[in-house]
Amino acid sequence: MTGKAMGKGTLLAAFLLAFVVVVLFFYGLDHLVMGIQGLPLNPDLSPAG
Amino acid sequence: MMGPGRGYRRMGRAGRGSVWSAGGRWPYLLLALMLLAAVPAMAAGTTDGLSVEERIAPIGRVQVEGGPEVAPSFGEAVRAEPEPPLAAPQPQRKDYPDIGISSRAVVWVVAQMHLFFGALVLAVPLFVLVIELTGVLTRDERYDDMAHEFMKISLVGFSITAIIGGTLALALFMLYPDFMAYMMRVFRVQWLWYALLFFVESFFLYTYYYGWNALRYGNRKWVHLTLGLLLNGAGMTIMVLANSWATFMMAPSGVSETGAVTGTVWEAMKGPLWNPINLHRFIANIGFGGAVVGAYAAFKFLSTRDPKLRAHYDWMGYTSNFIAILAFLPLPFAGYWLMAEIYAYSQQMGITAMGGILAWLFIVQAVLIGTILLAGNFYLWSGMSRTEGSVRYQWLVKYIAAILVICFLTWMTPHTLILSAKEIATLGGSHHRILGPLGIMPAKNIAVNLMLVVTFLSFQIYRRSDKVATVSWAPVGNAFMVAIYIVAMANIVFAGVYYGYFTNTVYKVGSSVLQVASTLVVIVSGLTIDGFMYKGAKKLPSHWGRVSNRSQYALFALPIAFTWLMGLMGYVRSSVKTYWHVYTIMKDNSPDNFIPTIGYAGNMITLVTVLFVLFVLFMFWIANLSGTRQPRPAATGVEGGAT
Repeated sequence: MTGKAMGKGTLLAAFLLAFVVVVLFFYGLDHLVMGIQGLPLNPDLSPAG
Repeated sequence: MMGPGRGYRRMGRAGRGSVWSAGGRWPYLLLALMLLAAVPAMAAGTTDGLSVEERIAPIGRVQVEGGPEVAPSFGEAVRAEPEPPLAAPQPQRKDYPDIGISSRAVVWVVAQMHLFFGALVLAVPLFVLVIELTGVLTRDERYDDMAHEFMKISLVGFSITAIIGGTLALALFMLYPDFMAYMMRVFRVQWLWYALLFFVESFFLYTYYYGWNALRYGNRKWVHLTLGLLLNGAGMTIMVLANSWATFMMAPSGVSETGAVTGTVWEAMKGPLWNPINLHRFIANIGFGGAVVGAYAAFKFLSTRDPKLRAHYDWMGYTSNFIAILAFLPLPFAGYWLMAEIYAYSQQMGITAMGGILAWLFIVQAVLIGTILLAGNFYLWSGMSRTEGSVRYQWLVKYIAAILVICFLTWMTPHTLILSAKEIATLGGSHHRILGPLGIMPAKNIAVNLMLVVTFLSFQIYRRSDKVATVSWAPVGNAFMVAIYIVAMANIVFAGVYYGYFTNTVYKVGSSVLQVASTLVVIVSGLTIDGFMYKGAKKLPSHWGRVSNRSQYALFALPIAFTWLMGLMGYVRSSVKTYWHVYTIMKDNSPDNFIPTIGYAGNMITLVTVLFVLFVLFMFWIANLSGTRQPRPAATGVEGGAT
């Protein structure tokens, strides 16, 4: 199925959904990678240490 | 008097019979009996109840009449007074031979040339094996032919490596005898294993190359692949053994503070920098090897007008570039690990490398890496002209180019400028108020990671150019891919700016790992999504050979930049020891025990790069010559004219 066949609205919704999922993934990655190094972060990503 | 000639003739005539006649046989029988009698004694290691050690030991002290009594048994006396462990030698200036020119310069050139060729001949069989295996799995013989041709280049390089390696060994023993004697003492039997491995590697290299056509199909092909695997096993072992000498000199282990050998050979090998160097060289060698054989393909492409051959060498050049850039992408991360371990081992050593005089060379490094990435990307964009499907992605190229250039300029911005007093007064200090912040690591980390991400994007759109995804979820897959690029790049910039400039040093250093992780997420997810999305995709026609000549010059730029870069960073790695042969253990007291000026080092690195390029051209010429056949001269009617 191409983008045209999918419809612009559906495509935009798919992109927004993907964007939210990816942002959450990277947010978790930031906490994980810094935490592993003993550098904890606050929920707003500022240093907690 | 009978001369030797006459005697030889007499032996020749009557002779063979007379040796075994009753009169001539006994000396041989006697000799055989003596040997038989000696074997048990040799096997037991004793004669008359004495061990070999006791028999060859000095007689001992003589008791002087009226003097103190000597020890009754020599063996006991030796055991009672163990010798203190031998410290590392401390040679003086006079202990270094003077040959009229700088010994360091001689060893520098020869060692660097050996490393270049060593890297090439160790790397090529690695990816040749992978290409050959790809040919087996895809049942496409073109891969097999290409792999064979790559090996042909490597074969000439192997001889050159061995010749230069022998020259290097002689130069080291002649010019640095005390240092080499110490290294022999530390690594002991490992040197013999190293020499033995050359025989093993030669055996597998020749059987692998010359057995290519004899072991081409069916089960025999698997025998051939096994030979390739064993060849690479021997090559890799040689590499890690040689690496251990370099890392021992930087961070000695298995010895005491005075350099006395206290540990095993294994303990001397597995110093703290050994594995980081092993990984770094392993990856770098593959990138370097890919770049050199890419230049060979470009050379062949430009020197033929035959469309079939141009198509073949175009494909070969593309594959080489693919190998070089793919290996290059993780290289900065391996380099990062190495530098982190250097800092962990000795902060002073780390600061010498990145904060002192050598820091300027990292600016040159940025220029060279930028050159590699720009050339690699340019080649990919040029290669997109091979297929009509590339028009879908060409609009992206200008944005990729803009990011590459901006990051390149950021990366090569120095922290401290070399300025005159007037310029400093005009500027208001040695740091530019806008450009100054770009000279420190957070800005460099952002730049390098973004360059790697967009280089991967070039790869991805290149590989997508001749395909159309047919899976139903392709738009969703694309949406995820776009989101990953945007968020990852934003995360790299955020981590660099926020933690790099607005938090403490610990978070600043830690954030670089975060940036690396973001880049790796892009690469891994890109490969995974495309791997599934383009499975069974519709293929668009691809015209190999339909690429501009200009793109081939990018393939020449790559090995030159790679070679210069290896020479440069090899110099930095070696110079961090400053005035030590073996760091903190054995001082270098030769006339060259100082870090040379950047200009001198630059000239030396350029010299070895030019030398290597000349040798590589010779290698290409030889490889070309082996495929050249002189046409049979036309018959002229003169007798023997057609022979």
